[in-house]
Amino acid sequence: MSATVESSRKLSTTERRPSMAERRPSMPAGRRPSVIPHLAGIEEPALPTTPDQCDVLICGTGLVESVLAAALSWQGSNVLHVDSNPYYGDTSSTLTIEQIKAWCHNVNINTAGFRGYSKALLYIPRPDQLNSRDYSIDLTPRVMFARSDLLSLLLKSRVYRYLEFQSLSSFHTFENDSFGKMSSSKEEIFTDQSLSLETKRHLMKFMKLVLESDSPKSVKELEAYKTTPFTEFIEAKYKLTPAQVNELCFTLGLSPIPNILTPEGLSRIRRYLTSFSVYGTFPVLYSKFGGPGEISQGFCRSAAVAGATYKLDSQLQSYDSKKKIATFTDGSTVKVTERLVCSPSQAPANAENVPDKQYEITRLITIVSKSCKEWFSEGESAAVVVFPPNSLPSANAFPVQVIIMGSGSGCCPNGQCIWYLSTVEKGDKARHDLETALLKLEESILRESEDGGFDVDLTDDDVVVRPDGNVSVINSVKLGKSFKEFVPKEKLTFLFKLMFTQFTSVEPFGVVNENIFKNALNQGSENSVDHEVLYSNMPSAEVSYDGIVTEAKLLYTSIVGSDDDFFDVDFEDDDEDPLAGTQNDSAIVDEDDEEFKDEMDFEL
Amino acid sequence: MSKQTSVKLVLLGEAAVGKSSLVLRFVSNDFQENKEPTIGAAFLTQRCTIGTKTIKFEIWDTAGQERFANLAPLYYRNAQAALVVYDITKPASFIKARHWVKELHEQASKNIVIALVGNKYDLLVDPETGDEIEGRRSVSVEEGQALADEEGLLFFETSAKSALNVNEVFTAIGKQIPEEAAKPADQPSSSGRIDLNAPTDETGAIGNCAC
Repeated sequence: MSATVESSRKLSTTERRPSMAERRPSMPAGRRPSVIPHLAGIEEPALPTTPDQCDVLICGTGLVESVLAAALSWQGSNVLHVDSNPYYGDTSSTLTIEQIKAWCHNVNINTAGFRGYSKALLYIPRPDQLNSRDYSIDLTPRVMFARSDLLSLLLKSRVYRYLEFQSLSSFHTFENDSFGKMSSSKEEIFTDQSLSLETKRHLMKFMKLVLESDSPKSVKELEAYKTTPFTEFIEAKYKLTPAQVNELCFTLGLSPIPNILTPEGLSRIRRYLTSFSVYGTFPVLYSKFGGPGEISQGFCRSAAVAGATYKLDSQLQSYDSKKKIATFTDGSTVKVTERLVCSPSQAPANAENVPDKQYEITRLITIVSKSCKEWFSEGESAAVVVFPPNSLPSANAFPVQVIIMGSGSGCCPNGQCIWYLSTVEKGDKARHDLETALLKLEESILRESEDGGFDVDLTDDDVVVRPDGNVSVINSVKLGKSFKEFVPKEKLTFLFKLMFTQFTSVEPFGVVNENIFKNALNQGSENSVDHEVLYSNMPSAEVSYDGIVTEAKLLYTSIVGSDDDFFDVDFEDDDEDPLAGTQNDSAIVDEDDEEFKDEMDFEL
Repeated sequence: MSKQTSVKLVLLGEAAVGKSSLVLRFVSNDFQENKEPTIGAAFLTQRCTIGTKTIKFEIWDTAGQERFANLAPLYYRNAQAALVVYDITKPASFIKARHWVKELHEQASKNIVIALVGNKYDLLVDPETGDEIEGRRSVSVEEGQALADEEGLLFFETSAKSALNVNEVFTAIGKQIPEEAAKPADQPSSSGRIDLNAPTDETGAIGNCAC
């Protein structure tokens, strides 16, 4: 025993952990030796400065960069991962109130170089009443589909074990001045009294098409609709009402723009349907205590376990591409043997090669003094609300997407709730749309909470007993019918309000299309301070995590040469958590198909 | 069967005080039911039976992220126990321990159980006689005990090398953990936590999204 401790200590004081590639061949074929986890760096004396040399230097601890850092570290690269901020997460960080204040200050002071954000307006009416640390505020809130590449990676990398996930099943659409809850599962479609039999048949037919959209027959059939706008396609072919089209495209599909094409629309709805009932009767999950910020920290920890070195509060000043030496603003330098990857938000002050940032995302984050439980499903603490295009008095051209996080998400105290509104509309119009949507949210929650929300004349036809024994209201249009005349007795108390604009070079669609990330991988002019710096992107407008792994893999490929060994790690771990089996999707489609038939028979 | 609870325990302390050695001594010693710890473990686990209850420690090491004092909030999150380790031959590490205790009070949950551990007792001992050799110690027992009393910590002097007091530290922590604070192991808690490794659909497929 003591011998192994000795050897592990010796290893860590003299050199870094050998790479996976180096370690593997030395393994005896039979029984594995008693492997002592390399508790990376623990026994090393504290370093006064950053290491002299690394294979890959990554500036910025955002989610994409953190996934990349972990992937490279497990592959065997010696990674130095720094961040100019005093906290982890960079553009995807989860911050306390005090950190948000400092962040706003940084956004608003005029600094040279790339600026990923602009015009941060912060309003805190009674600062003394907010305990900064009670809040976890996401700069880029996201939800995770139950069947997605990031979720698979969380399992494969074991990073999920650092985190806690909760379910989200309430997807609301704002229509005709009220919130409707989408009939999103087969069961709901069949029990929804507000749908005609014919509509039900069309909806079922459409859902069948979505689930089969990658079968050879469907691919051929859909070829003709490749450039047809998705809304046009479903309206014409399935005779659905505009309200239903909105729900499918913007609420279930979470499309951030009005005019997506048919293939993209189908993949977005397929994403929702195939995610449903993977873990239960909900399509998405979110990580407790903060979204991308928390998951970034998980991947950073994974990278550290694999030997990466972490240093916060370190801003890149310049990179000499000939000598391959990076210099930080504190004067320290590091030799980079392979590549320097940098988030645009951490670029040197006089950088010249940061990718163009032609797209805008405007965000409005508020904390309200209401639990907002009326919007959540039983036992849950979060919801999604979507305002489709043209549903607001401001005649919004783009949807307004809202993620609601209640106190059960661990992000705010009891009796409070965080609302994250966002749109890809630009400039002042974006801010006006968000303010208008905020007003509607306020009216709605006051209306619903004031009289319990359920005092309208509900008949037995309006409620349904779910399989789990809970009763839920299915005719939510009725709940909102007196909404227009409703004058709230009280005003909602806003404890916190933050509005800002974020820029990105990632187009606001094409979540599964890797080409949208490729244009960013440029080299730049030779005499610049960031020549040959490999830039990642500012976060996309996508409200799910889709695109994160794709981008990380692209960066990985441009460093390593291919993504064949991206997280190709055998964790010689205990037996408690066998790696999740992977099967292709066709099995599920078949099964659903069977259910379809059964239910159709039953219904007809 | 005895009741099993799961406790997240975090390690803190200056580099080279023997944090990992302590844990390796605890985890790899004579607990037959657990296999050898392995590379890539998210954290090390060890079961510890105290009376009728069994505690499963999930032990998180700093993975070197303490080097520049850059431990993430994730590290402290929901930790129910902490080991703050110093080297009894290095006064600077004891000063650092005070810093970590303060950090824990700020970052961690209020009822966290903290054990202050002065490690490397073996360096003080004459291997022949087993007696402590005068002049080798830099932090006195009294100093350690005073800090522990002041802050309400458990206090032990240990040697990872000779296994002195190692199991005792963990057992004492286990005894101190309030029943209600520890969550039942391997069970979804009432707060709606989803086990990502337990899909409910029959196919069990969590493959890549092919859409």
